[in-house]
Amino acid sequence: MKKVAPVLLFLFVFMSAGPLLAQDNLSPARKQAIDSLALEKVRDLSKYITIIGSKTTPWSEANRVIDRADELFMPGSQMGVSSLLHPKIQYYTVRKYFERLMRLNYNKVEIEWYKINYVSDLQRQPDGTYVGVITIFQKFKAYDKEGRLLYQDTTKKDITVYVKRKQTQIQGRMIGFWDVLLGDIRVKETSK
Amino acid sequence: MRKKTWTSATGVLMVVLFASLMMGGLTSCKSKKKLAREKAAAEYAARVEQAKKTLTAILDGTTGWTLDEQQKQFDTIKSYNIDDPQVKDLMAKVSEKLKGEQAEAARKAEEQRLRDQEAAKRKADMEKFKSLNDAFSQIAQSATYDGANQRIQQTLTLFSTPEVPVLIIIDQQQGFNDYDRPTTIGKFLNYLKDMRAYKFAVESVKKDAQGKITELELIKK
Repeated sequence: MKKVAPVLLFLFVFMSAGPLLAQDNLSPARKQAIDSLALEKVRDLSKYITIIGSKTTPWSEANRVIDRADELFMPGSQMGVSSLLHPKIQYYTVRKYFERLMRLNYNKVEIEWYKINYVSDLQRQPDGTYVGVITIFQKFKAYDKEGRLLYQDTTKKDITVYVKRKQTQIQGRMIGFWDVLLGDIRVKETSK
Repeated sequence: MRKKTWTSATGVLMVVLFASLMMGGLTSCKSKKKLAREKAAAEYAARVEQAKKTLTAILDGTTGWTLDEQQKQFDTIKSYNIDDPQVKDLMAKVSEKLKGEQAEAARKAEEQRLRDQEAAKRKADMEKFKSLNDAFSQIAQSATYDGANQRIQQTLTLFSTPEVPVLIIIDQQQGFNDYDRPTTIGKFLNYLKDMRAYKFAVESVKKDAQGKITELELIKK
């Protein structure tokens, strides 16, 4: 009986954990939906950055968009900023970065993100959070009031994304949802 | 005396003739039965051979028949009750194959039925929620901030408050919804203005007694 007890205990623990393990294994279709959701959030950020940087965006709209863009990030996330004129990469909290972007001293600013792709797939962490890295290329162009191009560069950046299953109460019922939050955005390389 | 001899000779002749006729008839009957047996054996052998060919072709998937046609052929062969080990082995394998394919066909048919049902529901929903979907599309297509803001104000009158929750379905599997982080109608309409694209469809709405929307569920297209 003494020898059987540990085996029975193991079987009990294994069978109890079974359903939990099964829940952790997402079907390929669900995983793909979450992958797409995270990419979509980065594309949303790309649009927000274009709007914030644009000198044609009304002040009130730019401030509202800063709030929306800020909500995409984990608290305390930082954005790397590089320049061909300075060798050092500066890191700012994302809100500070957006506010600086809005106040850039040019007459016209164009920012475009492209080649938005996963560089590291979403991987499940022990706490249940899925973490991945998305890479983007940013084309930055700044013009003076005569429309002359004053500065331009292309920067490759890596964005860490965190996806976690959460629950919230909506009109008295619990709704499970996937919360996508962006983390630090790090500069990988800058070129002309 | 002569007459008596004649009579007995005729009798013997008659007996011999009768015996000959009987013998001949028996021999002919025996050979007919043998022929029939041989014919039946040949037919059985041909049937066994044909059964083997048909069953092998079904197993290899080279018949070009539909699943129903394959099943009919299988049932016909089964009705022959062929007592041949190779045929029996092939029949067991074909039976298993047909069962598997029928189950797969049934699963696919059910999936198709659900897809059709879903498409029909979506089409009906599109019609049902057309004015709401149109209002969202118009915000996304507005050329100016002022134009978009005006449409946002008009659209907000359909809702009980700008804080009405908006749930966005990112994936549906077996009747289970996966949602994005919930937002509010106020934020969602501004999101459409910023993204300049409406990539959703209204899935469901809840309304209060005044007919104002109190909850909106969208699905990603």
